[in-house]
Amino acid sequence: MGAPELLQFALAGLKNGSIYALVALGFTIVYASTGVINFAQGEFVMLGGMLSVWAYADLGLPLPLAGLVGVLATACVGIVFELLAIRPRKDGDPLALIIITVGGSMLLSSLARHAFGPTERALPRFSEGSIQILGASLERQSLWIMGIAAIAVGVLSLMYSRTRFGKAMRACAIDRNAARLVGIDPKWMVTVSFALAAALGGLAGLVTTPLTQTAFNVGPSFGVKGFAAAILGGLGNPFAAVVGGLVLGMLESLSVAFISSTYKDAISLVVLLLMLFVRPQGLLGRGKREKV
Amino acid sequence: MKRRILRVCVAAALLATTVLTGCSSGDPESSGTDEGAQGEAIRIGAVLSLTGSYAGLGAPEKNAIDLEVARINDAGGVNGRPIEVLIEDDATDAAAAQAAVTKLVDQEGVVAILGATGTGQTMGMRADIERAQVPQVSMAGGSVITDEFSKWVFQTPWPNRLVVPFTAAYLEGLGVTKIALLSDSGGYGADGIAVTKAMLGDFGIEVVAEETYNAGDADMTAQLTKIRGAGAETIWMWGAGSEAATVLQNWNDLTGTELKRDDGIPDIIGAPGNARVELIDGAGEAANGFEFSAGRILLPESYGEDSEAFDVATDFITRYEAEYGSKPDIFAGHAYDALNIVVEALQRMPEGDIDPVALRDEIEATTGFVGIGGTFTFLPDDHNGLTENDLVMYRIVDGEWTLAEEAQ
Amino acid sequence: MGSAKTQSGPRASLTGLPVRRYLGVVVVGALVAAMPLLITGSDSRYVLKILTFVGINTLIVTGLALLFGYAGQVSLGHAAFYGLGAYTSAYVTATLGWPFLAGVAASIAGTALGGVALALPSLRLKGHYLAMATLAFGEIMRIAFVEAAPITGGPDGFSGIPFASIGSFAFDTPARVYWLAWGATALALLISWNIVSGRPGRSMLALHGSELGALASGVDLVGLKVRVFTISAVFAGVAGSLYAHTVGFVSPSTFSLHLSVILVAMAVLGGTRSLAGPAAAAILLTLVSSPDVVLPALPRETLEVIQDWEADVYGLVIILVILFLPDGLSGAARRLSARVRGARSGPGDTA
Repeated sequence: MGAPELLQFALAGLKNGSIYALVALGFTIVYASTGVINFAQGEFVMLGGMLSVWAYADLGLPLPLAGLVGVLATACVGIVFELLAIRPRKDGDPLALIIITVGGSMLLSSLARHAFGPTERALPRFSEGSIQILGASLERQSLWIMGIAAIAVGVLSLMYSRTRFGKAMRACAIDRNAARLVGIDPKWMVTVSFALAAALGGLAGLVTTPLTQTAFNVGPSFGVKGFAAAILGGLGNPFAAVVGGLVLGMLESLSVAFISSTYKDAISLVVLLLMLFVRPQGLLGRGKREKV
Repeated sequence: MKRRILRVCVAAALLATTVLTGCSSGDPESSGTDEGAQGEAIRIGAVLSLTGSYAGLGAPEKNAIDLEVARINDAGGVNGRPIEVLIEDDATDAAAAQAAVTKLVDQEGVVAILGATGTGQTMGMRADIERAQVPQVSMAGGSVITDEFSKWVFQTPWPNRLVVPFTAAYLEGLGVTKIALLSDSGGYGADGIAVTKAMLGDFGIEVVAEETYNAGDADMTAQLTKIRGAGAETIWMWGAGSEAATVLQNWNDLTGTELKRDDGIPDIIGAPGNARVELIDGAGEAANGFEFSAGRILLPESYGEDSEAFDVATDFITRYEAEYGSKPDIFAGHAYDALNIVVEALQRMPEGDIDPVALRDEIEATTGFVGIGGTFTFLPDDHNGLTENDLVMYRIVDGEWTLAEEAQ
Repeated sequence: MGSAKTQSGPRASLTGLPVRRYLGVVVVGALVAAMPLLITGSDSRYVLKILTFVGINTLIVTGLALLFGYAGQVSLGHAAFYGLGAYTSAYVTATLGWPFLAGVAASIAGTALGGVALALPSLRLKGHYLAMATLAFGEIMRIAFVEAAPITGGPDGFSGIPFASIGSFAFDTPARVYWLAWGATALALLISWNIVSGRPGRSMLALHGSELGALASGVDLVGLKVRVFTISAVFAGVAGSLYAHTVGFVSPSTFSLHLSVILVAMAVLGGTRSLAGPAAAAILLTLVSSPDVVLPALPRETLEVIQDWEADVYGLVIILVILFLPDGLSGAARRLSARVRGARSGPGDTA
């Protein structure tokens, strides 16, 4: 296997990994403020693509505007979902909320089928063509995906570590009362986290749809990969989510290159399991001490 | 302990509900048999995947059935009796498909069953079809449906044991000797690969690489990179979903347009599952030059414009487009064929009560039925009834289906 | 998990005659057992088939209720045990030609082995990491079901599985299949009842409350977790075996992550520290998918609309139950009973 081929496998892994990373970031945001794994995150990705296609093909908006509409509309869905289905559960019991997101996932995917039909729909690329790197090829659309993943992790990391707002979001997951004492309303922080997670999921859907098309039932496969990436990296911080996503993408690509494409998912899941058994808190996660 | 009693009571109430309703549903009068003046309707059941992962296939099938039922009844029904098709949704689940058969046969008294949409669902129905002794005409493409032969089960799509030799002979004619196989890991791909590998030996074609992808995968560049290093002259792809469009895009991006060969050999060749307008929408320019075999419905003029088949196809396409605003796809065609094969058989039967066993014999006696998928002639050991003549090779040129022979 | 508070209040008033409790169980049991005799219409085969699936789901959910409601662990991989049981039984009976009971025994052995193998290394994992590990296991098994085509039939599925039979007695009518499935479910409930009402049950409650607390009280945490997990896996395996012999056909798409998630949702909707609650939730949610069993008089047009909106309704039911019955069906029943008692014997009684 020559160097250009190896580079091509690496680029494929990077591209898939960036998609996983974008989805994983959405998981991280909701987890950071609620301690909940949002099973509807994959549906946000689906909605981002679907609503953008709707705005572009059915409403006839120009692509950038349609994309904006798609992402904002997905964020609105996230907000409405939080207000109607998450907030009324006042005790914030994580498992109860997770099951609610399971119900939400079924509901959103089925509603999308009613609204947009059962077949897949397409979106044009933002930029046509490919670039050549040392004999390997990478389409410009993938640069969008990687770029957006990079920007998203940068912005989120800065937000969490530097801004009062970001610190507040984390604070309310750790201790709601303490958050309240320093003048933060934890309720709204959860709403904002769902809006952000939905917007980010929507963005992921928007940038991948030109390559993969989208349909009402694509949510769960995005969700599983994103969840795996978030766990692989270690739940809780955006940087770990991106590392998890890239490692997962690379694992799959290398499995195809050196072992078997049939078992690429099985191989990456086995690696994930082994990693969990050795390092239960994920690659970059910090071990948490249980409260007595 | 009272709390326990109450918990038990809740469960009891739930069960009681089912008991009561179960009893009331035992009333035979409750299902509608009060048809109008033109005679009692002949009831046919259909099990389709209207929700779940095959919803995109079940929807056009339902459209076609609704359209055809209206046409047949407007034209006087079957020997003066209207037909009624009772559609059950199996939610793309084998157990639900089986339960639907039970319901349609025992409760609704249907004389035949159309469907299911998917191979797994069709096979899940098998035991109950044989128990109830009702003919079934499946719209699913899996070879297993007629390979694991049942005298009760017929099938309308083009079987892979026709598609494979047709496509292989085409490739042989182009002088191809080395191919790569790329398939989805689901039923369609696995079936295609199995039949291809079993039949390729007759054509002097060697498989130099074999890769798969999963439904939902976002990028197949890694698989295609590996295939590219194996020295195949063309890639034979077995995949029906949206991933097929992703493969075409990935290949286009990987090779760049300047690398496209101009020797008349397609870079990628597909299968009837790719005969979907969504593939063209999804792959865009990357679909250019992609070839696949399928029935003639995509370009009815390939029948010859003075043939009966041409009239049947254009009539169906016109009516379907007028009703639903889009052209029928191959799945609509499979449903059209399934229903009309049963209706034709019914029309050949004497008036009066319809015995499903006699109907099965009559379906098996179908000879030269001109449908959308081709001309069907069933035999006691051939419940698919099509021939290679019903297939044609398409090439996508500038977002349009063209006949591959003419394009060259 | 909001469990501690529900327990503390009404426990003080835990009175009532065991006789009455057993009476309730007997009445429900008799009702369930008599169902095939009560349902006699032309659709009895369909209704019994759906109710058989209801029983099979109840069996799996009972295992998950032990695991979640008592041991506080969540598995997103139980569809895999369900599938493992189904394929094992199918292979042993249809391919090897051994009797049904050998198939069930093989299913039990296979899923017990799988349960231990997954539980042992997963012990260190908590919460979402355990969920991910079980999810990964489930997906790996699903890939195995697809790829082990010589044994499983691959994506096309495994057909021609015989009806269950013991000796010369075949479970070949809908009523018999129904009795078999519900008989197994009743047995599972009985076993579970014995576990939770005995010493292991108390240990498990300690486990659910706080691992350190349980540790301090000298509970063998490791052994307990592994045992509960294995029991729940075996329940799913037996359910799989019953599924295979009921449908006669098994295909990999049945044993999806979606199913695993739905089964957990049933257990959670039922409520913690309860067997009847999750069982009721399993019955309720399985019937949501077949509204015509509960409402047979519905016109076809209405039914088609309901089928079209089934997934939406299902999702909505899950959300609404969690929101409006915060401690599940069992918790709601507890509160209802407290209120009834309060009304009957004056306000001072429940305090």
